Amino acid sequence: MPPLRNSSQIAPPSDALQLLAQYQRLVLIREFEQEAERQYKAARIGGYCHLSSGQEACTVGAVDAMAACDLLVTGYRCHGFALAKGTPAALVMAELFGRRDGCARGRGGSMHLLDVERGFLGGWGIVGGQLPIAAGLALGLVRQGSSSAVLCELGDGAVNTGAWHEALNLAALWHLPIVYLIINNEYGMGTKVERASSQPELYRRAAAFGMHGERVDGNDLLAVQSACERLLTRAREERSPAVLEALTYRFRGHSVADPGISYRSEEEIEEHLRRHDPILAFEQDLLSKGVEPQQLQAARESAARSVAEAVSFAERSPAPELSSLAEGVYASGSDVQFARMRLGSPFGEQELVFDAGLGR
Amino acid sequence: MPRLSDSMEQGTIVRWIAKDREPVQRGDPLAEIETDKASVVYEADHGGVLERVASEGDTLPVGALIAHLLEEGEQAPSDAAPREHAPREPEPRDGREPPEPEPRDGRETPAVEAQEHEEQEQARGDGGARRRSSPLARRLASEAGIALSQIQGSGPGGRIVKADVQQAMQRAQEDEGGRVAPRPSPIKGEAETVQLTRTQELIARRMAEAKATIPEFTLQSEVDMEAAVAVRDQLKVIAQERATAAPSFNDLIVKACALALRRHPKANGTYRDGAFHLHSAVNIGIAVATAEALLVPVIRDADRLSIWEIASESRRLAGAVRDRSITPPQLSGGTFSVSNLGMYGVEAFTAVINPPQAAILAVGAVSQRAVVHDGELAARHGMTVTLSCDHRILYGADAAEFLGFIKDLLAQPLRLLV
Amino acid sequence: MSAAQLDREQAEANLTYREALRLALREEMARDQRVFLLGEEVGLFEGAYKVSAGLLAEFGPDRVRDTPISEAGFTGAGIGAAMLGQRPVVEIMTINFLLIAMDQVINHAAKIRAMFGGQVGCPLVIRTPNGAGNQLTAQHSQCFEGWFAGTPGLKVVAPASPADAKGLLKAAIRDEDPVLVVENLSIYKERGEVPLDPDFLVPIGRAAVAREGSDVSIVAHSFATVRALAVADRLADRRDISAEVVDLRSLRPLDVQTVADSVSKTNRAVCVEEGWPSYGVTAEIAARIQHACFDDLDAPVERVGIAEVPLPYAKNLELAAVPSEDRIEAAVLHTLGLS
Repeated sequence: MPPLRNSSQIAPPSDALQLLAQYQRLVLIREFEQEAERQYKAARIGGYCHLSSGQEACTVGAVDAMAACDLLVTGYRCHGFALAKGTPAALVMAELFGRRDGCARGRGGSMHLLDVERGFLGGWGIVGGQLPIAAGLALGLVRQGSSSAVLCELGDGAVNTGAWHEALNLAALWHLPIVYLIINNEYGMGTKVERASSQPELYRRAAAFGMHGERVDGNDLLAVQSACERLLTRAREERSPAVLEALTYRFRGHSVADPGISYRSEEEIEEHLRRHDPILAFEQDLLSKGVEPQQLQAARESAARSVAEAVSFAERSPAPELSSLAEGVYASGSDVQFARMRLGSPFGEQELVFDAGLGR
Repeated sequence: MPRLSDSMEQGTIVRWIAKDREPVQRGDPLAEIETDKASVVYEADHGGVLERVASEGDTLPVGALIAHLLEEGEQAPSDAAPREHAPREPEPRDGREPPEPEPRDGRETPAVEAQEHEEQEQARGDGGARRRSSPLARRLASEAGIALSQIQGSGPGGRIVKADVQQAMQRAQEDEGGRVAPRPSPIKGEAETVQLTRTQELIARRMAEAKATIPEFTLQSEVDMEAAVAVRDQLKVIAQERATAAPSFNDLIVKACALALRRHPKANGTYRDGAFHLHSAVNIGIAVATAEALLVPVIRDADRLSIWEIASESRRLAGAVRDRSITPPQLSGGTFSVSNLGMYGVEAFTAVINPPQAAILAVGAVSQRAVVHDGELAARHGMTVTLSCDHRILYGADAAEFLGFIKDLLAQPLRLLV
Repeated sequence: MSAAQLDREQAEANLTYREALRLALREEMARDQRVFLLGEEVGLFEGAYKVSAGLLAEFGPDRVRDTPISEAGFTGAGIGAAMLGQRPVVEIMTINFLLIAMDQVINHAAKIRAMFGGQVGCPLVIRTPNGAGNQLTAQHSQCFEGWFAGTPGLKVVAPASPADAKGLLKAAIRDEDPVLVVENLSIYKERGEVPLDPDFLVPIGRAAVAREGSDVSIVAHSFATVRALAVADRLADRRDISAEVVDLRSLRPLDVQTVADSVSKTNRAVCVEEGWPSYGVTAEIAARIQHACFDDLDAPVERVGIAEVPLPYAKNLELAAVPSEDRIEAAVLHTLGLS
């Protein structure tokens, strides 16, 4: 493994309060994912549910590197990103419950969280599909004359899609302000990176497009934050795109439905839990900087409370109205365009769709 | 039924010439058949004993069985009851319809049989009455109260289509003077079911369409007819001198409408498919009642005709309606209509718009009424007119101006004469 | 309103379909800075079919952006830019290549608004020609608009005349949703009167009665409409048959109303398309007609499409495969019981 940048090589962190706030979000994500798994198993969350336990440091580090006007786009393992961005856990949990108050109004679920106000333009569900779109967002920023940049997260599996090559080529060719953040958690579903990529040092693939690429220890929050900050600044100021590969590990299976042990050993998981848990590492760091253990305890309790409140909020939030089934499928005002399509519709379509907010 | 002209789709057996169950030679005349073009004598294609199947007066599609020509001693097929219909030709080449059976031998007079079809259809358990028919034909037949079993199909595979039902309706009318057997109706007493004539059918459809689809509003106005009454008295005198018919109040109204329509193109227009179609000609339909129907013959270019020309044209058209010599072109192309029930003493009424026109004027009786004239109560001739408008093209203010102009013209009728 | 303004708004010019599209692009680019073009060869090469000719010189490379051969990449880039409120017009050289971007169109563009609870839109336009008939063979002769028209979240229009080409493309650019504008190789050269009014729009979701008639309705879109009109002329001249031609213009939203009004009047329908009819546009139209006009039908709804084979190269085979005027005419006669 090539040498990694880590926090000891970079400038010391700012004040402990800020670190504590970051710790707060690390444990919130961990706590949230554990609760999501419980709720999924209690059948209150449906569909796919991809957890990010073990990846908290690179999630929070990358998000905290963003400027307020930057845009974030991610793949489907996106609970942590929404929470790191500051989307209230209640709105995320309500979305997982498929409720009206969910951050995607019950239309997106686990894979399609978003928070437009905070610049989070979506968790996307097709591996690699978000990469060209993120390039387009960067192009849009340029056309708007904005000096912001796009941070686009992807998993290690996405680098083998065609969209990866097309998107990176465009980003480099058009000098787009974008950083592609590969969260390399070693497995694309059950396929280890080495079994999927002929060049398993994924950041090196940027070179094919004349683009800068580098690797960072994804379990080191501050290292991720620092690298990401540097690359985003470069993207904003020089319109120079880059690839950042963060090495981390996924503690749970690919999704809640996957025990995660057919393609890797329990010993391997145990080893990571014991020795490479990014939260434990961050705790050690904080304690060494003089933060009191009680403060950490308080942060964990606060996270647990937030998650419990999120569940309670999600339970209380009503399901979306059936009469809103077709809302948001088309822009408001499109109902006029669809008025003459009612005739001869498939059985029930008039009530289900046309009368349920289509184009309203 | 032989095909005896290039465009023939069906024929009527006017009379059998050859005698039933008697031998005929090839070339002997068999029957006189009326095609769409003429009556033609149909000759035997080969010799044999004629066994008639169809009767005189039967109208059958091309290809239907009309008779067998049997060899000496041969029996007609046991099921040789009249076939009411059969396909014109072995129809589908694309395999979508079941193949027609070939004629069993070459000697059957031109028809092929629909036996297997009927058996299939009867096998569906519809009491033997089910025939192939288009949905439209079924609807029309049901509306007209005609059983499908009474209708012969001329479509592919013997399918009963619209044209067949219409023919059956016409026949029923001719046969029974428009009446079909009454159906019992215990509460309201015996009801007589009268089948509509085509014109009545058309009126029913058009009027229902108008009421269902046109967002309609009406304006009503009192017209001072004092001067018009005086002018008409003078016109009567002139007419006598000229030995011609005097213009009626209705003719004056038509003329006033024509001039007003020229100034208000939307009243002379049509709303269709999200667009206004503004017609260049002003063609005014005048409603004429007959015993069985209401027809609206059209006075063309009414704005360019003098009051005398309008008078003579309206009389000619009304006459043609009454003696039934009116032709379709004389009934079409109207851009506006006037309906007058004044002669029945009706004071005021609302007429149904005649689509695709934008408006219709309903005219009441000219009568003396108490009005305030020049600040004093006076007895003057007046008339109530009611304008029904299609709001998709003719809006309230436009319609009011249009009606106001008509009213002014009639109040100053000299403007109609110059 | 001044007389000059009035003149301008009522003026028409005789333009080709290609020129009408170009005029639409030009007017919208001048009207709205957010409108920009991207696609293969749209700039220096002036468009594979020359629709964008002259626009690079007029608007510069930032607004007429040549792309590499990366349909998924630049279609996705268009989607992203549209999410930020830009008005990208993506040109895909032919509809055959749109399949390479299928994931971006179907899984992404079509889903954004609904999947994110109506909080983000995607006012993207994709222009692309369909069509066979030029010996372009199996991979370059296809019509896939039906696939896209079956996808909620997308809108699909397919103009058949120069005026509709201008009006629909402009309406698509101003629309808030992703719109696929299906052009056609054979119509690019066709001429017609085109309104010069810069605010002339053809509403999305409205079919047009391209020719009135009373005996049978021919329902078509794109190049099939051009063929249908020629067939209607022929039937009138040679057979005294009055065929009504309904040009769908929009496939999603689909104006079933106009189709049903026509078929209710004529009682017979022939649906025509340039694509494979199984599971195709005509299949949808026929289903709608049987439902909406069941009691008005006097004959089964007939369909005509391209032969269901990958298109061969040999000219005679290709000619036999396309929905030619002869085949459409035969279908009409069959429907009328005259074949």
